[in-house]
Amino acid sequence: MKKQNNGFKIGMIALFLGLTGYYLFPTIQWSLEQRHIESLTEAERVVYESENAERIQRLRERSLSLGLDLQGGMYVTLEVGTPQLVLELAGEFADSNLEDVIRVARENYLERRTDFIDEFVAEFERRDPNAMLSRYFRSDAQNITRTSSNSEISSFLKTQRTSAVERAMEIIRSRIDRFGVTEPGILQQGNSRIVVELPGVDDEERVRDLLRGTARLEFRLTPESDEINSAKQAIASFFSDFEADEENEEVQNLLEIFDLRGTNQYSFGYAAGRDTAAVNRILQTEDVQRLIPRNMDLLWGATAFAHDNGIPLYEMIAVRSQIELTGDVISEARVAFDPTTNRPEVSMTMDSDGARRWSRITGANIGRPVAIVLDGYVYSYPTVRSQINNGRSSISGIGGVQEAEDLVNILLSGALPAPLEIIEERTVGASLGEASIRAGLYSIIFGLSVVAIFMIVYYRTGGAIADLALLLNIIFILGILAGFQATLTLPGIAGIVLTIGMAVDANVLIFDRIREEMRGGKTLRAAIDNGYANAMSAIIDANVTTFFVAVILYSFGVGPIKGFAVTLMAGIVASLFSAIVITRVIVDYLTREKSSVVSFG
Amino acid sequence: MRWFESPNFDFIKAHNIAYFFSGTLIVVSIVAIFTMGLNYGIDFRGGQEFVFEFQEPVDVVEIRSELSEPLGTVPEIKLFGSDREILLRIDTEEDITATRELLIANFATIYPGNEVTVQKTDLVGPRFAEDLRRGAMYSIIFALAVVFIYIFIRFKGWYFSAGAIAALAHDVLIVLGVFTIMAEIAPFDVSIDQALIAAFLTIVGYSLNDTVVVFDRIRENSIIYKTMNFSDMINKSLNDTLSRTVVTSVTTLFVVSVLFIFGGEVLKGFAFALVLGVILGTYSSLFVASALVVELQKRAIKAKAK
Repeated sequence: MKKQNNGFKIGMIALFLGLTGYYLFPTIQWSLEQRHIESLTEAERVVYESENAERIQRLRERSLSLGLDLQGGMYVTLEVGTPQLVLELAGEFADSNLEDVIRVARENYLERRTDFIDEFVAEFERRDPNAMLSRYFRSDAQNITRTSSNSEISSFLKTQRTSAVERAMEIIRSRIDRFGVTEPGILQQGNSRIVVELPGVDDEERVRDLLRGTARLEFRLTPESDEINSAKQAIASFFSDFEADEENEEVQNLLEIFDLRGTNQYSFGYAAGRDTAAVNRILQTEDVQRLIPRNMDLLWGATAFAHDNGIPLYEMIAVRSQIELTGDVISEARVAFDPTTNRPEVSMTMDSDGARRWSRITGANIGRPVAIVLDGYVYSYPTVRSQINNGRSSISGIGGVQEAEDLVNILLSGALPAPLEIIEERTVGASLGEASIRAGLYSIIFGLSVVAIFMIVYYRTGGAIADLALLLNIIFILGILAGFQATLTLPGIAGIVLTIGMAVDANVLIFDRIREEMRGGKTLRAAIDNGYANAMSAIIDANVTTFFVAVILYSFGVGPIKGFAVTLMAGIVASLFSAIVITRVIVDYLTREKSSVVSFG
Repeated sequence: MRWFESPNFDFIKAHNIAYFFSGTLIVVSIVAIFTMGLNYGIDFRGGQEFVFEFQEPVDVVEIRSELSEPLGTVPEIKLFGSDREILLRIDTEEDITATRELLIANFATIYPGNEVTVQKTDLVGPRFAEDLRRGAMYSIIFALAVVFIYIFIRFKGWYFSAGAIAALAHDVLIVLGVFTIMAEIAPFDVSIDQALIAAFLTIVGYSLNDTVVVFDRIRENSIIYKTMNFSDMINKSLNDTLSRTVVTSVTTLFVVSVLFIFGGEVLKGFAFALVLGVILGTYSSLFVASALVVELQKRAIKAKAK
């Protein structure tokens, strides 16, 4: 009976060891490979890597991956702007009522942390229970018509959001691929968030612009100079006798930070870079909005036009609200250089429809400027010299070649369906990551040694058996992590260290029980049997509760904390197996003769 | 080697001292939390955090006073591991690159020639911080609820659940109190962030381990010694499991101390919480959980008799 039982156990142990070996093998191969690659010279490395590209790629994918906190890199959480998406979907049906509902719904959603679309529908219905959302939304593909019910619209909006997130992820993937990052991680979190993990990236600003760039390219006309001048005068007289509120810093005189003297007739004025946010705030106030004509938008220039004692100055340009042409028509884009100034620019070619419209626009506006607006900033507003028939256009006023390359990347990967906001961003330098790996490794080695020595001193042979189980336990944990393609993070290493301390607990329970049984006068064999049997309920209860806690941690935690929860779970499973099954088999083997003696201290 | 082979301590009798001791710690913790406020880290408060490494040692006080004017606010600065590394936390709406450049430019004027590299940056938006805070709160409440239900099912008595939960709350509250009090004086980062929540849940799991082992023995003894009175039986169970409790605590304390000493600066606060948690968890399973179970069971019987 017992023999058969142990045969099964030994089979299980062999199976798990085999599986662990199978899953950890690529990791071992990979680290040997890396060592080999590092030993090569730069020239040899390039050749070697290109010859073995496929194998290296496969090994890297299958080996246990390290978290960003260990290998260095950048971690970004982005949120898709659902309110803007809803407004966009309404398109030309949008009116002030809809905008207002969206504004209130957004506030409620931020307040109550619920779903924005649910809040939106609720707010709409609260205002007028009989009103139909269908007056704002149409879709032939989704069968949304004038008679669609509000709940149909609600689910339509949710589907649209899902596809917007999916599309945004695709676009981000294509941008990141062009940027050239090995093993980027792009995954969805919740219903409107995207997590992007970029190992080894250290140029944060570039990545940030790349991720966030909606590439909303617009061609707009500029207002007549009389219109601009009268708006300027209205604002100047409004603020000339304006008293700044001493108590409230928000109420500030615009003229203190904004100079209305433009460099040319289309420029509305300028301000220092650090004041642009304050200027925006003042211009947004209702009193000031009334002074600006409805079909005029005031947008900042993309780059500083001058410097005053090192402070960059930005120009504000008046443009028409109507958008003549958008970036959708761009079929090709590349970096080019202005032949006269030799500064980088992005040269674009439009598709046939775009070229036709571009030809009409330029033909009708010879001698007037057309503003090229990207993501709300005016890059340039060249004056049209002649009608352009070949669909060519270019964006100048770009900072550098790299920026131009990224812009091409963004334009070609397509426009994001809705603006993305960075709500979390973390970067870890490679050297800090290395220090963390070293610290984690030391902790595991020291922790393991101290516990192992203690166990042998305290439980003698029993302790040595438990130590062996402990060692296998750590290998199992790594195997489980590799098998489930989990990532090893610094908190994850902490989880392993913690498991070392807790894993012996099951053995401590068993061995103490065996001692107790022997004290009660039982033979060694009987004491061992009873010890294992009686300790079982305590071991199970204690580990099940801890496992629950780890599961909860996993479901609520994000990023590295999830890594900790995963190692904790893997640790519990592995330690139960090694403490109950492995030590039992060894103990049984050592006590197979009636006369054999195993010391439990 | 054998520790506590056949001990006979009267744990239940010691409960008055334990109550006084725990009570004092809890009151001090609560007062500290309410007067000083929880020392939220970047995860739960939002803002920007940087770790800079200098070539030469720097002075935190000097940096703090020199930076407050250009930043327009006094940043939180701590040494991070060595006297060449600092952790800097700031609440600002500015773009993170702009802040970083501003800081580096100012470092160059404070310490000309002392080269600085950015080791780590964290940006957490205020809304995201609120989500994380909420998630953390839910996870702790949820964990306690699950533990309550599991123990209720396995040990068939609400007083066991209540005793265990009270012991867990006791441990977490005191660790929280210690972290609050140490906010200003600790030589390492003791702010409350996501890693600390993980530490709390681990403490919950660990402390629970101890408590459950004792309860398991109570369950077993209550079948063997049917006539023994409840409080004596609990005392016997505590003594029966004492050697295991001590051995496991010692091994766990070993590893968490190793983690605290060798685990690197990033894990310092986390490991410190675990060290406190292991000590408190052992103490509370011996002196708080079981004593409360006895008390609650007595009251339950009295209430029934009425």
